[in-house]
Amino acid sequence: MTHFLYFDPGLGAMIIQAIVAAVAGVLLFSKNLLYKIKLFLGISKPNDDVFDDIDVKDSDIESKSTSDKQQ
Amino acid sequence: MISNNRHPSSFRDPSGFIFVDQGIVKRSISPLYFKPYKALKSSSFFKKLQNAGLLILHEELFASSEEIIIQPEQISFMNYPYEWSFNQYKEAALLTLKIQKFALENGFSLKDASAFNVTFYKGKMVFIDTLSFDFYKENSPWRAYKQFISHFFGPLLLAKYNGLESLKLMNSFIDGVPIKMVSSMLPLKTKLNPFLYSNIHLLAKFEEKHNEDYKGVSKESTLSKKAQLNIIKGLYDFIKKMSLKTSSEWGNYYEKTNYANDAFDQKATIIDGWIKQLEAKTVIDVGGNDGTFVRKIKHELHEALVCDIDYNAVDANHNYVKTHKETYMLPFVFDVLNPSANIGFNNKERDSFLKRIKAYAPDVTMALAVIHHTTLSGNIPFEMSAEFFSTFSKHLIIEFPKRNDSWVQRLLNTKGEFKTHFDFYNIDNFESSYSKYFSLVEKVAIDNSERVMYIYKSL
Repeated sequence: MTHFLYFDPGLGAMIIQAIVAAVAGVLLFSKNLLYKIKLFLGISKPNDDVFDDIDVKDSDIESKSTSDKQQ
Repeated sequence: MISNNRHPSSFRDPSGFIFVDQGIVKRSISPLYFKPYKALKSSSFFKKLQNAGLLILHEELFASSEEIIIQPEQISFMNYPYEWSFNQYKEAALLTLKIQKFALENGFSLKDASAFNVTFYKGKMVFIDTLSFDFYKENSPWRAYKQFISHFFGPLLLAKYNGLESLKLMNSFIDGVPIKMVSSMLPLKTKLNPFLYSNIHLLAKFEEKHNEDYKGVSKESTLSKKAQLNIIKGLYDFIKKMSLKTSSEWGNYYEKTNYANDAFDQKATIIDGWIKQLEAKTVIDVGGNDGTFVRKIKHELHEALVCDIDYNAVDANHNYVKTHKETYMLPFVFDVLNPSANIGFNNKERDSFLKRIKAYAPDVTMALAVIHHTTLSGNIPFEMSAEFFSTFSKHLIIEFPKRNDSWVQRLLNTKGEFKTHFDFYNIDNFESSYSKYFSLVEKVAIDNSERVMYIYKSL
């Protein structure tokens, strides 16, 4: 493991991540549950956002023409 | 071949540095970073991110036991966080989180999360710091978490709650807006939101508390990968949903202008003709609003920089770029009266607008419906604006609204008793001042309006 301490990650910021993660976990779980209920009831809103999901799609990674590579 | 000419902005990370070789930006990798670099390369991690359009392309030029040199795809016009609109900023933040999640899934982790690792290029935000990845160490927290908050989440929250101009703070805080400051500026209601409370207010308290007990060795704290993914996903979902109240004002500008439709079309036709005649490939539209006029140019442009002081206009332009998947349009926030300066160590880390635009040297500069604002609101004399426009491109297409134009009258009336000080604002003075820096190629008056279009060539 190469560990470059070229900036201070902040000790407080390292410790707090357990709390932040717990809060985020609860929120994600409840949102997910709410979404599933809405989906079940057929009241989920369509997604008209210009931004994608967090996941990198497999199709984007694999199939790509080489035309726009290395210029 | 050991490279020198280190770029003055490239000193923070000892893994390598950027240098410029005969005008081409290259990256030298130090043996310190060989292990991660080779792992990233052999596991096709770079390739996957590049195929997905998230990471700038590069090719390896040279490899020895002392140095590896890669050449990234050259960025035509570098733009910085303090020049992005709200949704551009959002896009950059989401890109960083997306990359971190993908990295974690592949056994790597972003070792920094600087907003300067991202730039808007070919219609989207792209990650440009190829050496930002390190191996993920099982059960270790995200080292760049605090940096992400101070570079991305903090500024975005300030923009939402305290005004879009807060995004300019990154100009002063090149290492991110201090979290304590973000916490103190946000409204009280943000403390009632558990997500914001933990990510901002509690973080500020923790940082304050642990600031003192520094013992030289940072204490090891642990965090499972699943927990870290919760942080990343939580931030992604929250930022993705962030919106502005003002977004409904988008694009109303052209409905408010004093143009008749015919005059608008005539202006577009004139510009298109001139651009075609010059066979221009690149333009900058200063005060280009949401890019409407540039999109009326039928002649194919390679790239168009469209900047405006109005955050909402730039956001509207960005939204258009995203929904239409345009790649030639580059929107950014720009104030003619105060362009971005050279900042950072030695004043050389981030280049000023003028330095970048001179190097870019667009074929044509467009300044439509701008001169009355710079002259009458900004009090910039004609000669000084002429000098400014003459420094970075050969041709200038400029629109002059005459004294009787309703906008000009409105601006003059705001001057009250000093109105007479602006008697110089007339077409003769404009022409004589601009003739000191330019030769006139053609001028055309727009029918049924108080406006005249000029095309100038710099002397």
